Amino acid sequence: MKLALYLTFPYPSPAVFDRFFDNMMTMPFDYVELGIPTDKPYYDGPVIRRTHRKALDGFSFSALNEAVRKAKQRGKRCFALVYYNHFSSNMAEFLDLLKESGMDGAIVPDILTDYFDERRKIAEAMKERDLSLIPFFTSSTPDKIISEMIQLTDDWIYHGLQPSTGIRVPVSIDLLVNRIKKLAGAREVIFGFGINSMEMVRELKKEGADGIAVGSSLVNYIENNDVDGFIKEIETLGGAVYD
Amino acid sequence: MYTEQNVDIIPEKWYNIVPDLPEPLPPARDHDPENSSIDLLNRILPKEVLRQEFTSSRYEKIPDEVLEEYSQIGRPTPLIRAKNLEKYLKFTGKIFLKYEGGTVTGSHKINTALPQAYYAANEGIQEVVTETGAGQWGTATALAATLNGLKSTVFMVKVSYDQKPLRKKIMNLYGADVYPSPSTLTRFGRHTLEKDPNHPGTLGIAISEAVQYALDHDIRYLLGSVENCVITHQSVIGQEAKKQLEILGEKADTLIGCVGGGSNFSGFTFPFMDTDAEMIATAATEVPKFSQGKYMYDMIDTAGILPELKMFSLGADFIPKSIYAGGLRYHGAAPALSLLIKHGRIKTDEIDEVKSLEAFRIFSKTQGIVPAPESSHAIATAIDYCKKPENQGKTVVINVSGHGLLDLSFVRD
Ligand SMILES: Cc1ncc(COP(=O)(O)O)c(C=O)c1O
Repeated sequence: MKLALYLTFPYPSPAVFDRFFDNMMTMPFDYVELGIPTDKPYYDGPVIRRTHRKALDGFSFSALNEAVRKAKQRGKRCFALVYYNHFSSNMAEFLDLLKESGMDGAIVPDILTDYFDERRKIAEAMKERDLSLIPFFTSSTPDKIISEMIQLTDDWIYHGLQPSTGIRVPVSIDLLVNRIKKLAGAREVIFGFGINSMEMVRELKKEGADGIAVGSSLVNYIENNDVDGFIKEIETLGGAVYD
Repeated sequence: MYTEQNVDIIPEKWYNIVPDLPEPLPPARDHDPENSSIDLLNRILPKEVLRQEFTSSRYEKIPDEVLEEYSQIGRPTPLIRAKNLEKYLKFTGKIFLKYEGGTVTGSHKINTALPQAYYAANEGIQEVVTETGAGQWGTATALAATLNGLKSTVFMVKVSYDQKPLRKKIMNLYGADVYPSPSTLTRFGRHTLEKDPNHPGTLGIAISEAVQYALDHDIRYLLGSVENCVITHQSVIGQEAKKQLEILGEKADTLIGCVGGGSNFSGFTFPFMDTDAEMIATAATEVPKFSQGKYMYDMIDTAGILPELKMFSLGADFIPKSIYAGGLRYHGAAPALSLLIKHGRIKTDEIDEVKSLEAFRIFSKTQGIVPAPESSHAIATAIDYCKKPENQGKTVVINVSGHGLLDLSFVRD
């Protein structure tokens, strides 16, 4: 299985972010997801929403470029997590900047729910720039739309387990993983949104998930300025993912 | 009506339309950015109900205990060829009624009350609470609670509470405690009464009170309409109707039903979505959610405790006129139904009280069934439809969501 780690960039401040990020880079994991802060992170839970508000002031593309450079140096693949709502008015310019930053692609969680009619346009604009659009699905994405988005893209797939990040309502992981694996064929499917226990990681592994993405559970450590706890958490996750 | 062989008509699974929608269902969204109202659902809904609300599965197995209860309360409900109405209208096609008034509580509401109460009891819960407008949902909750060994409390919209004393009696008979809403039992109720001691109440306020009461007393709240899992449970209506038509060798050209929150209409029509049947959803002209509402994220309850849903809505603070069809006095409509209307797959109609009363009289006189005032709206749409030359020869199925034997006070002598 693969491990993807999410941080909102640069939460809570550029200096503190750098300290956590640099430490994180010494650890084994596969993908970095960097959240581009926005004032309306609709589909995030309360924990991540807080980080967006705080990160807004410190955000700059030059700082982002530096973070991506460091990650690439360590051999990590790098993806932005950004709402289309945030760049719909200047898509070409925004995607050019993402490409320049060295990002491999982006997860755009609001396309299918709020900008459904623009899905092809966005997929094409990203393809033109050789940026991977990572399709974002949840339990409420219809089968036909999943198949269509899989046709329109060619990198990995992000599947949310929960209606938003960092919260937990009951889900049947077995049914959910089976459905998406059947529709996705050989494509890599990584699960996130609400993973907050090792038990959940083990169950995902057992059901055949290709990887997990974790974010909310890391925020606590940053909030408490607890670098050791942060590293330990990544170590534990890595243990469950790679063993 | 309740023979053994008939029981085969009750489906073994509920149908969830979400994986078959033409575009993704917009997810529930928090109203208050500081708190997660989705997380809060964990505290007020039975776990299994919450799981079904967000599931990706097309089918959910109906537990054997619920199937047994379905057959006890009158499922399958009859599908009746309305020959007298056809004759009266000089209609050259066929009209069928799916008669949900045939359940023991007199409407479709029991179809979801039973599984929700069953899951609550299964999880060791002792007591449930809900709101009711016209009284049908409260009645269904009261019976479902009793059958599953639970205590129940019902907040009933003040105008209906005053208009329909018999409804309260039935709920009491089934063992429920019934309070007029706004009440002094909850913070939101007291707040509303402070501003207007004579407030007539709305469904949105009653929902807020019931949810707050559930949180205050750590009991579970039963969902009457709008939410997706309710529509999934109501799919028994359409699945039965489809099978009953099949047995008769008939195929539906047109399906017509009324819309309050959208549960009877969606439960009736969604299982036919794989056919090319035309579908018409009727709302009340006094609650013009389809012609004047906007497709937007809005609150389900007036207090904004529950997550927001994207739907056709007149705004959560909309106070509808006190029409008799209390079940149609709701500002919004279920998200999946709203989405299919936006896509043009489902057509809409709006019928005013005068016209619904006319349909109510015609229907009572021709078929002998006294329809619920809500259902009378759908019947009015069907009558208009069957009068049009271009619709002659078609097979029309009307979902008669309930009987109106307890709503007769609205008929002047
Ligand atoms: C008989 C009857 N029909 C219809 C409705 C409207 O609700 P829904 O649209 O959820 O079926 C109600 C609601 O109280 C009702 O009692």
